[in-house]
Amino acid sequence: MNILNRIQSILSPLGHLPSYAGAYIIETIIVLIFSVTVIAGMVYFFRKYMARVQNRIGPNRVGKFGVLQVMADGLKLMQKESIFPDGRDDLPYKLAPIIVFMGLILAFIMVPYSNLYWFGSLTITHSNVGIILIFAVLAIMPIGEILAGISSNNKYAMLGALRAVAKDISFEVPMMLSILAIIMISSANTFQPLNLQNIVSVQSIPFGILEPIGLFIFFVSMIARASYSPFDMGESDSELVTGDTTEYGGLRFGMFYMGLFGTIFLGSMLVSVLYLGGGSGPFESSIGFVWFMVKTIILVIISLTVWLSMPRVRIDKFVNFGWKILLPLSFINLVITGIIILSGIGGIA
Amino acid sequence: MEISEPTNKYVELNMGPQHPSTHGVLRLKLLLDGETVKKVEPIIGYLHRNAEKICELDYYCDSLIYFDRMDYVNSLSMEAGYLEAAEKLLGIEPPERAKWIRTIMAELSRIASHLVWAGAYGLDMGMLTPFFYVFDLREKLLDIFTEASGSRLLTNYMSIGGVYQDFNEKIIFMIREFLETFPKKLEEVFNLFVKNDIFISRTKGIGILEKDVAISYGVTGPMLRGSGVEYDVRKAEPYLMYDKVNFDIPVSYSKDCLGRFLVRYEEMRQSLKIVRQALDKIPEGPYFNPKAKKSLMIRLRGDGEVYARTESSKGEFGVYIVGDGSVKPYRVRVRSPTFKNLSVLREIGKDVMIADLVAISGSIDLVFGEVDR
Repeated sequence: MNILNRIQSILSPLGHLPSYAGAYIIETIIVLIFSVTVIAGMVYFFRKYMARVQNRIGPNRVGKFGVLQVMADGLKLMQKESIFPDGRDDLPYKLAPIIVFMGLILAFIMVPYSNLYWFGSLTITHSNVGIILIFAVLAIMPIGEILAGISSNNKYAMLGALRAVAKDISFEVPMMLSILAIIMISSANTFQPLNLQNIVSVQSIPFGILEPIGLFIFFVSMIARASYSPFDMGESDSELVTGDTTEYGGLRFGMFYMGLFGTIFLGSMLVSVLYLGGGSGPFESSIGFVWFMVKTIILVIISLTVWLSMPRVRIDKFVNFGWKILLPLSFINLVITGIIILSGIGGIA
Repeated sequence: MEISEPTNKYVELNMGPQHPSTHGVLRLKLLLDGETVKKVEPIIGYLHRNAEKICELDYYCDSLIYFDRMDYVNSLSMEAGYLEAAEKLLGIEPPERAKWIRTIMAELSRIASHLVWAGAYGLDMGMLTPFFYVFDLREKLLDIFTEASGSRLLTNYMSIGGVYQDFNEKIIFMIREFLETFPKKLEEVFNLFVKNDIFISRTKGIGILEKDVAISYGVTGPMLRGSGVEYDVRKAEPYLMYDKVNFDIPVSYSKDCLGRFLVRYEEMRQSLKIVRQALDKIPEGPYFNPKAKKSLMIRLRGDGEVYARTESSKGEFGVYIVGDGSVKPYRVRVRSPTFKNLSVLREIGKDVMIADLVAISGSIDLVFGEVDR
């Protein structure tokens, strides 16, 4: 039973149609509040962590320990005048940030925030094909980046968009192949192998231990998806100013910015769900959400440390890396997974 | 049938003058074929302040501040370079203690300059963190400069006939403390660069500058030594007290950005060596030549022409002064090392990728106060 059904059963005295409509509206509000809160927390945490790494203090003026700094920045972005570049393609230019942000929020809906025993795994929308759906909505985000690049009539943005395309193509194939390996293991164990809740519940041994290569490929792909250093070729602030988002300002820039931090969090959540057992842990039936968040936050810290300590990879070297290293590795991963399933290591049928 | 070349094959792109990778106000006009740079043309002059002409309107002693503002991250070497020429023209010899003090300060200033460069180079590569570490290290040097001269960046510490203020116990203590703590921290920070495979892959074999090209363009300093030429004004034509200290000239034969990076790293350690020896050898005595004391300073007259060269952190810094027997110079001309080093970008910056161009232009160590003057 998911949250939607729960809310609907509470609202059921109102009648069939109004209760469903009300449940959807409440659910949408919950997702928006959760994702925006998480992103704001991420930005604050990132700035504090970055400051700690770099021997600085970080934000400490607005609110206690600077916790309201993010809100102040957000308000500032909202108040800013929208400046439109001449010769832009108007509709794609305005649509691009919304597409990026929408893809992110849609992906937040399908993540299982806990294990099955805790509030029906705390997923907002159950789906039998959750794992396919989540990568389908994630694939919407690069469209927004590309639209932003080609519609803003700027050579830097154009170059950034071209780089983003080259980057996306070269990591998405290995990423989907590593997902395929997960579906293989999960289909050997349950009748609904594409359901994210089932993928969490079959991980008596986390898939990250069974498939370390898959974990590596997926983690690298998530860095490239969020496009921060070392794979931030799309933005590359020292070469292309800020790449595809060069001509954006105000709240439209804010959406791209939230997209970046949201994707870091989402990527960590996905690694935790698919490879580290999600909401399961030593005391599993009671505090699934806590386990899930602990794993996610550790992964976020690893991601931020990578971001802060690595230089940028050149785009052609990343394309080489994607096609010549990650792709063969993901095939090897598939073979290893097949051997694991056939030999039945770790109680896997 | 003849197929004509399509006219819109290349994209023209302006990088700068307002651009994150241009270290100030460099404008690069690029001709791009996709991601490949086919042609690069540096355009300069956005920070031109007419310093050479202003020097002609001022007394010899007053011109010093314009040299501070040329290479502003390395101001003490600039002062030493100007005074080398001005004192030769005016016939004033600074006392030995002043010369030692100048040697120490110029070397500390070289370290500060290389530190800033390393941090900015990290930013060019997309590394955020080392920038803050090197600025933290540099802060100790700026404290020493503040103690000696009263200001952090544009020190105006040296003056004709000596230095503004003698080294006291506190400054010597601060320098000794710096010498003790610095090498370990420096190694820590530089391991962030040289032990990072991505950094190596971004710099190794990138921006190859051949020896003969470097010489024909008049490239000097770490750029030239990175191409395998063992040339350093401090050895070739010693000034100040460089002939009385023992140090090596680091040379790299790899000719690429990584070679230049390592040359600068080693140069910092050699500078430490020089400062250490100088602190031991510095004699007691006057720090100022009384012939150039304050009341007489503006009456100093120079006649004839003189050229003096020194090794700044960027390369050979030459100052040419013509005096006509009055209290102001007739003509001042500066041979700026960065200007010559930048001109070679046209050779080494073509047929590379945009990301490499940023790495190459960063490895030149551009400071626009000096290029445009």
